Amino acid sequence: MKLRVIKGIILKDLREIRREKMALFWIFIFPIMWITLFGSIWGGESPPITLKVGVVYYNESSPFTAYDVVGIMKNVTLEGVPLFKVSEFKNESGAIESLKSGRVDAVVVFSKGFGANVSGGRQAKIYMYFDKTDPQDYQITSGIVKGFFSEFEKEMKKRSLEMQFKYMEAYIPKEIIERHNLTVEQIREYMLASAEPLVIEEKTVEGETATPIQFYVTSFIGIQFLFATMLTIGNGTLEEIEKGTLRRIAASPATAWDFLLGKMLSTFFIIMISIVIGIFYSRLVFGETIYPSFLGWSLIFIASLFSMSLGLSIAMLTRSIKSTTAIVNFISMPLLFLAGIVLPESVLPSWAKPIVNYFPLGRALKDLRLLELYNRPASEIIPDLIWLSLITLGALTIAVLLYNWVVKRLE
Amino acid sequence: MYAVEIKNLKKSYGDFQALKGIDLEVEEGEIFGLLGPNGAGKTTLMRILAEGLKYDEGEIRIFGESISKRTRRLIGYVSQESIAYNLLTVEENLNFYADLYDAPKKKVSELIKRFNLPPKKKAKELSGGFKRRLNLAISLLYDPKILILDEPSTGLDVPSRRKLWEEIKQFKEEGKTILLATHYMEEAEILADRIAIINEGKIIAVGTPKELKEMLGEESIVQVEGLLKGAEKLKNNFPRVLEKENSIRIHVKEPRQALPKIIEILIKEGSQIKAVKVEEPTLEDVFLELTGRGLE
Ligand SMILES: Nc1ncnc2c1ncn2[C@@H]1O[C@H](COP(=O)(O)OP(=O)(O)O)[C@@H](O)[C@H]1O
Ligand SMILES: [Mg+2]
Repeated sequence: MKLRVIKGIILKDLREIRREKMALFWIFIFPIMWITLFGSIWGGESPPITLKVGVVYYNESSPFTAYDVVGIMKNVTLEGVPLFKVSEFKNESGAIESLKSGRVDAVVVFSKGFGANVSGGRQAKIYMYFDKTDPQDYQITSGIVKGFFSEFEKEMKKRSLEMQFKYMEAYIPKEIIERHNLTVEQIREYMLASAEPLVIEEKTVEGETATPIQFYVTSFIGIQFLFATMLTIGNGTLEEIEKGTLRRIAASPATAWDFLLGKMLSTFFIIMISIVIGIFYSRLVFGETIYPSFLGWSLIFIASLFSMSLGLSIAMLTRSIKSTTAIVNFISMPLLFLAGIVLPESVLPSWAKPIVNYFPLGRALKDLRLLELYNRPASEIIPDLIWLSLITLGALTIAVLLYNWVVKRLE
Repeated sequence: MYAVEIKNLKKSYGDFQALKGIDLEVEEGEIFGLLGPNGAGKTTLMRILAEGLKYDEGEIRIFGESISKRTRRLIGYVSQESIAYNLLTVEENLNFYADLYDAPKKKVSELIKRFNLPPKKKAKELSGGFKRRLNLAISLLYDPKILILDEPSTGLDVPSRRKLWEEIKQFKEEGKTILLATHYMEEAEILADRIAIINEGKIIAVGTPKELKEMLGEESIVQVEGLLKGAEKLKNNFPRVLEKENSIRIHVKEPRQALPKIIEILIKEGSQIKAVKVEEPTLEDVFLELTGRGLE
């Protein structure tokens, strides 16, 4: 191993790259474009929305009527923003027309006698209409409206129970309760539980969930491995063959390892710059990013080494820049999705999951996410790191053998 | 001891035999020309010597030592194609190759000065002449004793070519042994102390330019200039006819008898003759005599 040769190759590669417009695009512009694009689509906090709801109800004279419910709807707010913008309709068909034309997001119809039924302790009916054209919109809208009414219903249950309980306290003789070894409080709790058997309280735990921006910063790292890393080393080596410089390097005192080490280190350095740009740009513009730990950087290093071995092998087998570019794109495009690079594993079809787990780049990225996004302990990652290192060593050996085979046969 | 000694060298590309048993001796300190048309095998021979290209059979010694990775350091090689990286400057290119060959750093500035190279200019911005000189500078970084030049003046304009020839003569003054491949007889004639004529992978004659020309013996060369037709007819009467642009060279035993016949044939075929001369033989005439065809 000749350090001067390796240094020479690294410097030469970096100087060439610095003057290559396409390479500069991939290193500097691509991370910024990627993070800007996904950051502005999914990034940041989404503002609370206001739903336009059409209501239909009938005037009644009971103590509590649909009119009161509509009044409450008009006043509910979430983080200071009204949850509903209510428009009242005379009849059901008018409201549905409005829903169809998109002037309202949902229609709530209080059945005739709603107020009388509620006040009299009987079941009261509410009909809801939603537009299902866009399934995602439908989910959000129906979730909010149904959520509102189920909360409302719970509150009503509690109140009617409180009422029933007051009657009970007043009319059931104390001796009877005591004879059954009960207290008033126990009966009260029992009645509450029969009305609402489960109490679900939502709690969020800080740090365990990743923001979309952080997820896309890791995606971007994966993309660099799938495309830029493979192409830089593969086509970089082929260019030297085409130009005749590789023959000259091979004839010089430099060994194959000197050349490959120099090429790999320069490629790694370039990819690192790109990753660091992505990381800091995301922090600067969206206020969020990931800062990989030492273990995280080790994963990145091994993944890039694997990617380089793959790129070099493809280049040595095809011996053509065009074919190498085509094959790298052909493999990498589907892997972008199927190896969980840009899509979370949870949304992948079950047949794609082995790719995430056994294709080293997918696995390395998954580990990186577990480590940096989901705060898993290092001990969980280290066995994978060893596995990845061994696979990478195998891939690298194959790449070097192919390289030697090609160089020996240069005519 | 020879600087380069080659015995029965054979090399095939697949089924095609590019070198069919080459024997060659280059003396230390001489300029040795390898003259032959395109495809003769010149580059193949040089790459075996300088780049370690594999060969099938034969024996090669460099200053008496069998060829190896070690002897390669004794040889500087300027190939037909530039090995400079286009996006790097002259200085960066020299620095890279100096690192590769572990050559002293001061060599870089020395060579830049010697060849008058613009250090900050990118290789792709250099003219053909400067690019060739950059390649020459690269090959001299580690001070090789033998310099192998593959068609050094191909693609250069006349002034650059002249300048390069001066430089090559200078290398000889400095004691370097030079092996030069060319298909320009002029280049071989001006520069080379000795010349090997190579054709289809075989060396067909070796000697000083004078010795080679003497191989023509008693033959004279008649050169006819003008708008000429009827070269094919001439070939029926004279076995050695060389067609060039606006001229024809004919090898004859007795110019006085041949001249009327030549002119008669050419005029009959509708030629417009501007001049007729009896000329000194050139190396191309030697090649024509040996192979029946021209160099280009
Ligand atoms: N890499 C190669 N693969 C196959 N054939 C080759 C290769 N290089 C040269 N040849 C063939 O070998 C012959 C000699 O070529 P070369 O040594 O380049 O001749 P020259 O330099 O005298 O023009 C030519 O016919 C050429 O087509
Ligand atoms: Mg050639």
